[in-house]
Amino acid sequence: MSILEVQALKKTYTTRMGSNQVEALKNVSFSVEEGEYVAIMGESGSGKTTLLNILAALDRPTGGSVRLDGQELSAIRESKIAAFRRDRLGFVFQDFNLLDTFSIEDNIFLPLVLAGKTPQEMKKRLEPIAAQLGITSILKKYPYEVSGGQKQRTAVARALITHPRLILADEPTGALDSRATDDLLGLFEKINHSGQTILMVTHSVKAASHAGRVLFIKDGVVFHQLYRGQESDAQLYQRISDTLTLLTTGGER
Amino acid sequence: MKIGFYPKLAWMGIRRNSQLYTPYLLTCIGMVTMSYIVSFLANSPLLDPLSGSSVMKEFLRIGFVVFSVFALIFLFYTNSFLIRRRKKELGLYNILGMGKKHLALVLLWEAAMMGAISLAGGVFCGITLSKFSELVLMNLLKEDIDFTLRLSGTAITQTLGLFAVIFGLIFLNTLRQLHVTSPVALLHSEDFGEKPPKTNWPMALAGALLLAAAYWIAVSIQDPVSAILWFMIAVIMVIIATYLLFIAGSVAICRILQKNKRYYYKTNHFVSVSSMIYRMRRNGAGLASICILCTMVLVTLSSTTCLYLGAEDSLRQSYPRNIYLDLSVERDQEDAVTIQQQIQQYAQKVVEQAGTNLFNELSYSAVSYRGKLENGELTLQNSLYNSADYNQLYDVMVVPLEDYNRLMGTQETLEPGQALLYLGKDSNYTGESIQLEDGESLQIVKKVDGFADYQMDRALMRPVIYLFVEDFDAVTEPMLSVLDENGAPMTDLHWYYGFDLEASEQQQIGIYQQIQDWVLENGYSAKCQSVAEERSVFYGLYGGLFFLGILFGIVFIFAAVLIIYYKQVSEGYEDRARFEILRKVGMTGREIRQSINSQVLTVFFLPLLTAGVHLGFAFPLIYKVLSVFGLINLSLLLAVTVGCYLIFALFYILVYRITSGSYYKIVSGPKETL
Repeated sequence: MSILEVQALKKTYTTRMGSNQVEALKNVSFSVEEGEYVAIMGESGSGKTTLLNILAALDRPTGGSVRLDGQELSAIRESKIAAFRRDRLGFVFQDFNLLDTFSIEDNIFLPLVLAGKTPQEMKKRLEPIAAQLGITSILKKYPYEVSGGQKQRTAVARALITHPRLILADEPTGALDSRATDDLLGLFEKINHSGQTILMVTHSVKAASHAGRVLFIKDGVVFHQLYRGQESDAQLYQRISDTLTLLTTGGER
Repeated sequence: MKIGFYPKLAWMGIRRNSQLYTPYLLTCIGMVTMSYIVSFLANSPLLDPLSGSSVMKEFLRIGFVVFSVFALIFLFYTNSFLIRRRKKELGLYNILGMGKKHLALVLLWEAAMMGAISLAGGVFCGITLSKFSELVLMNLLKEDIDFTLRLSGTAITQTLGLFAVIFGLIFLNTLRQLHVTSPVALLHSEDFGEKPPKTNWPMALAGALLLAAAYWIAVSIQDPVSAILWFMIAVIMVIIATYLLFIAGSVAICRILQKNKRYYYKTNHFVSVSSMIYRMRRNGAGLASICILCTMVLVTLSSTTCLYLGAEDSLRQSYPRNIYLDLSVERDQEDAVTIQQQIQQYAQKVVEQAGTNLFNELSYSAVSYRGKLENGELTLQNSLYNSADYNQLYDVMVVPLEDYNRLMGTQETLEPGQALLYLGKDSNYTGESIQLEDGESLQIVKKVDGFADYQMDRALMRPVIYLFVEDFDAVTEPMLSVLDENGAPMTDLHWYYGFDLEASEQQQIGIYQQIQDWVLENGYSAKCQSVAEERSVFYGLYGGLFFLGILFGIVFIFAAVLIIYYKQVSEGYEDRARFEILRKVGMTGREIRQSINSQVLTVFFLPLLTAGVHLGFAFPLIYKVLSVFGLINLSLLLAVTVGCYLIFALFYILVYRITSGSYYKIVSGPKETL
């Protein structure tokens, strides 16, 4: 069964003066199955971030529908949306979005605290995740004391701790060096193998080549998609770059 | 073209940062205005003919000095906020190719423009408001007013001079800051990582202990005059303790709360507590300053208000009747009674001639006597200070029972050798009998609750005992016969005479002068007093204090408000990113607003509440100090203190609303782009 179903999604921005209309998303449709690892690729301005914001219920679409677990996002009342986001979705951002006033541990606890969980339960949930992500030793430290890779792993832990149905990652490797990038992508694969559904937006070919399926967005529509099948990362990497070349040199539609 | 470049750049800088510059500019204008007004009044010719003018002007002059120092410190402080926010922009200019010399030039233009606007605006407002403040002052002094607008050249020069120096110093400080930072540091000066604050337990504990000790001293001081040293120590301890507690104590409390997992991991505590640690580390000192400022304002305002409002009370205590006369008669003067009658008759005549009548007459004889009270035995003391034990000194007033009965409307009777006792303030004599010099021991039959004339009791700092006796002459004889080393009697027989008048102050003074002159002409040794005459001196003192209290209250309030405003605004920029993250992670808008609210509320009202507690503990002390000034109206003081606090709080809340409004706007606004 599909976890996420996006149907004919449309988002139009009106410029400040109200005269020009910009279509960020024209007609986007796709679905994500349980346990899938999907990467969405596209250039800057292709509508990736808009799409992600709508999927995260941070923004409302102009038209079309988004169903998460069969639940229509636009039907959720404003007051419930934060709780919905907290319970069903996990986020990993490019710039980590950790709060520098919290220790690593408290940063991870944040969504649980918002959900009203007890300290004991939070502790119980944290232990296996921290061990899996290799951050047990830095739990008491503060964000400014740890490396970029460790910060991103903290963010992943924060996303995982609510056991979300779907993890949304926005350029998760964007601010990491190549070693930390490899670490993180390996981590994502591991998480995915354990059954976690991941949707990642990126324009890094390397990051996308770890996914099971790659969607390409151009000018507000899903332009193409690739399935990994039985291919290795390197083979998928090659196919992705070929597709991107095609996209940028303006191949036929 | 080139000439206009720097001024233009400077002007643009001011305009673009108007959110920061407008409050600063308003403060500068306000400070200049205040300075002009104080200086104007200190030099006002209108005050000269008043009897209280020298006291008043001295206050104003001292006020001007205090004000200057305050203005310097305060403007320095607020300006540092501005520089911190501007550094990024200046760094950009620097990277775009402007040398530090050019930047200095831009800053010079900026300083010049700001200075010119503040001075022009301030002096203009000052001139406009000076008449108003003059009217307020004259009204407070209970003097007549006129409506001519005056300009004071001295005041303008003084003000311009003062602020030229202050602005100059501030500009030099800006240059110094610019000089010591590199362009990259200028660009990034706003966002450097912050270490989490460590709890400084010794500091927090020391603060708590100091505060407790200071409160204990404040509450246990009995006599504020002899304990003035302890009083100063207590004040200094409170100040230090406030700083320690705000800086270290607040972090310690947050840490303790964090340790308590059940409390800490709750939605509405989680974010607030952890942010408060950082907030308090950064703002502890500032909030402590605000707290002390508030306390000072409140103490000053409430005590000066109370003194002023209670002025009539204390006047009445010190001068029990409109006209009051103290005649001393030598022991062997036979015609004492005749003189008394003559004076009474003459007073009656003068009052009748003035076309009015006197009432509330007060007249009694007494022998007043200062001595050392030991084992129920009172010995005359020649001088106050050669006495070994100051605490045993008492003033005794021996009054005929006949006079007591007449004045109090009672029918007490006594045998010879018996006495009624009235204890004035601070005296707590518990003996059953009392012996005056080598006279017969007087048995105390009864303690009474009061006497018609408290004048002695109020005027003296020492405890006073009143004794009412049947055989006045026999009892006082041993006292009157004590001679000093020159062979003159050490104490005299006094006759006190006073009455109220249904007359204007002018008339009262006229009557008083006539009686005074007549008494002197006849060679009587009498001291005559008129409330009307004393009132203007009294109001010069109390009204002046009150006026300065209000003036400084306003200045301090503005200072406190502005500090808080800048704190909130600069924090708003930092908090924006934080709340954006919280929103993404799944905090609802309502929860975010609640969290903001609780933090802003804490930052805002912690100083006010602490100031309230300080004021509460200072209250007994204020009461005792004021009673030295003759003000013993506890309920008035209580009402005024609470009233001042409430008015202050009201004003504070108003500012809070404005400030938190602009804070929300910043926090919920789009990310800053530069």
